[in-house]
Amino acid sequence: MNQLVKHIVILGGGSAGWLTAGVLAAEHMPSDTNGIKITLVESPDIKTVGVGEGTWPSMRTTLQKMGVSETDFIRCCDAAFKQGSKFAAWHTADVEDAYYHPFSLPTEFTQHNLAMAWQQYRERVRFDHAVSFQSHICDRNLAPKQIATPEYAYVANYGYHLDAAKFAAFLTQHCTEKLGVKHIQANVLDVKSHTNGDIASLVTDAAGEISGELFIDCSGSRARLLGEHLGIENISLQHYLFNNTALAVHVPYHSEDENFASHTLSTAQRAGWIWDIALPSRRGCGYVFSDEHTSLDDAEQTIRNYVAQSSSLDFAKHVDLKQIKFNPGHKRKFWQNNCVAVGMAAGFIEPLEASALVLVELSAQMISEQLPQNRQVMDIVAERFNDKFSARWQQIIDFLKVHYVLSKRDDSAYWLDNRDESTIPQSLQDNLNLWRYQAPWHFDAIHTESLFSSASYQYVLYGMGFETVSRTHKTQTQTKLMQQAERLFAETIQKSNQVISQLPSNRQLNLKVQQYGFQKI
Amino acid sequence: MSNHALLNNVDHKDLKIIRKRNAKMGDQVMFCMTFPVEFRSVQHDYPIFFRKDSQTGEFMPIAMFGFEQKENLFLKDDKWDAGYIPLVMDRDPFLIGFQQDRETGEKKPVIHIDMDSPRVSNDEGEPVFLEHGGQTAYLEKISSMLQAIHAGQDHSKAFVQKLLQYELLEPFTLEIELNDGSQNQLVGFYTIHEEKVNALSAEALADLHKDGFLQSIYMVLASMSSIRDLIERKNQTLVNK
Repeated sequence: MNQLVKHIVILGGGSAGWLTAGVLAAEHMPSDTNGIKITLVESPDIKTVGVGEGTWPSMRTTLQKMGVSETDFIRCCDAAFKQGSKFAAWHTADVEDAYYHPFSLPTEFTQHNLAMAWQQYRERVRFDHAVSFQSHICDRNLAPKQIATPEYAYVANYGYHLDAAKFAAFLTQHCTEKLGVKHIQANVLDVKSHTNGDIASLVTDAAGEISGELFIDCSGSRARLLGEHLGIENISLQHYLFNNTALAVHVPYHSEDENFASHTLSTAQRAGWIWDIALPSRRGCGYVFSDEHTSLDDAEQTIRNYVAQSSSLDFAKHVDLKQIKFNPGHKRKFWQNNCVAVGMAAGFIEPLEASALVLVELSAQMISEQLPQNRQVMDIVAERFNDKFSARWQQIIDFLKVHYVLSKRDDSAYWLDNRDESTIPQSLQDNLNLWRYQAPWHFDAIHTESLFSSASYQYVLYGMGFETVSRTHKTQTQTKLMQQAERLFAETIQKSNQVISQLPSNRQLNLKVQQYGFQKI
Repeated sequence: MSNHALLNNVDHKDLKIIRKRNAKMGDQVMFCMTFPVEFRSVQHDYPIFFRKDSQTGEFMPIAMFGFEQKENLFLKDDKWDAGYIPLVMDRDPFLIGFQQDRETGEKKPVIHIDMDSPRVSNDEGEPVFLEHGGQTAYLEKISSMLQAIHAGQDHSKAFVQKLLQYELLEPFTLEIELNDGSQNQLVGFYTIHEEKVNALSAEALADLHKDGFLQSIYMVLASMSSIRDLIERKNQTLVNK
């Protein structure tokens, strides 16, 4: 039981496997004689599923820590800058119904809860436009930085849109050539166990038996190790979040220099919503819906109509659609014995707030930081890991669900069912009750490192017409806030105007990155 | 848009260039690009820093004349008060153009002139051509300056590449206190990290020396003593107010 952890075996070569390998290798240095060996086993026959073409700003830190050049990353992964998401037709489906959830915090968010002051201005100005200079940048499809801004630094906070297949290939090269990760291409035929149930080794067709002390299951929704071998079952989330099918399509640009959005566009439909993610070489779109609320034919017509708005009718009519089925849910436990699941092997949910890759990053970070030195202490780390990620899944469910709960759409059973109380987690119901009387702010984050900050909740709540009433009695804070409010709103506009005059278009900056690249300093 | 013309002794036979140095002539700039070929002369009067080209993000060495936008502390009574004027300022209003040779297809550098420049005149200033079309000594000097700039550009890029390769550049905030007690901060400039230069291996030093870059590095480091002179000039302007 006191066996030292000297060799980590990762099963699966998608973005989850390689990101985990990269995070672990950058910290634990497999190339060093005393470092921990890391082997990634990838089946040459199983294709990866391109989940999550959108990242959070956390990806910048993740890549930087792995020693990746941002210029190389952008060039090799067809990557573009993402400054947040725009939600259209989610609230009323009127023509003007849209709001942003940008990556930058509201103006002076650490000191002032501007959401409370904004309540008195709500008829005059949109919440995002009043408190977020970034919403104005997104309106104009401008980039979040200049070519002279050092790599990974920003004028406005950003993450990425990327091509997941290219990303996995890029990380493969980086991890094997620069970080000393061993790459084995082989199919797993069998899994051997110790008497205590721990995984002893993977038996493969092309590389014999591969033994290790810790196994990371990145084998996708199949969950070859944690699910199939160790028997950890799924918890379904379908009763909260109904979407379980997607129809995806690639849409070309009209010309090579056509500008493109620097945010994910999410447009609500009768039985789900359509993502629209702009990469430098093409847009990736997809209708994700509940197959209990629409027929496949209707869904196909919906996505084809959407594509037709920005391409020729002929293209929209005949382009190939790729169908993806999934069971929204996650494993009851993520770490069992000496096996931990990361990525789709741990769980999968609709990509509404691009939570897939960030969960991979957070899982890899925790495994890396808390890496048990020996088998004896592994169960303690495992339990903490399970607690933490169960809580994170709960946070994801609540935050995704709030987008549906606040909708006033009544044009289909889908939207009505989504507002049925029995489909809303109690934690979210409690929060919404509370927020009718006080706007979310710092104390609302019950867990430190809560996945979605109170700022994120503010953007969605007040983007969707949620009303919070002020206290009936005067308070110090509220009085001071009202005195400052006009100045802070003016500051948002002033900052927007200042950066708008300096920022290039999203396309222009991408072309400059291709030509010149960013400086490291 | 600038109105650039190929210089020739027919169209421009009476052309004169006003060589006064003042704001009207466009000399009121805080810094200009400089090249390693002129570092030896530049460092005597001006601090040499690095700045990013806003269009490309690429680093370029610059000679500094002042501490804020549109401040050139060397302008005095229509003259430039220093022993050496950096090439980029001195060549104004002439610039390098390229002409394709009809037969060989080769691109050759030629002299262009910015006809919209306030320096361009017909009756005042320094003649460009002699009475019968020959070149004046002034034009010969301009010609050699432009050649130096042309050759200096690639060399300068190679120099910057080496500095980046050995990670010798660092961002730098210039904090100066003036005689009136005011604190002034200057950001957006980069300089050479002296300790990192001192810690370079013998191989790295040999590599830098091979193309003369080692000398350029020390010229940049030596130019830091010109900051004090620049502050002194700034203090003088406060006295005169």
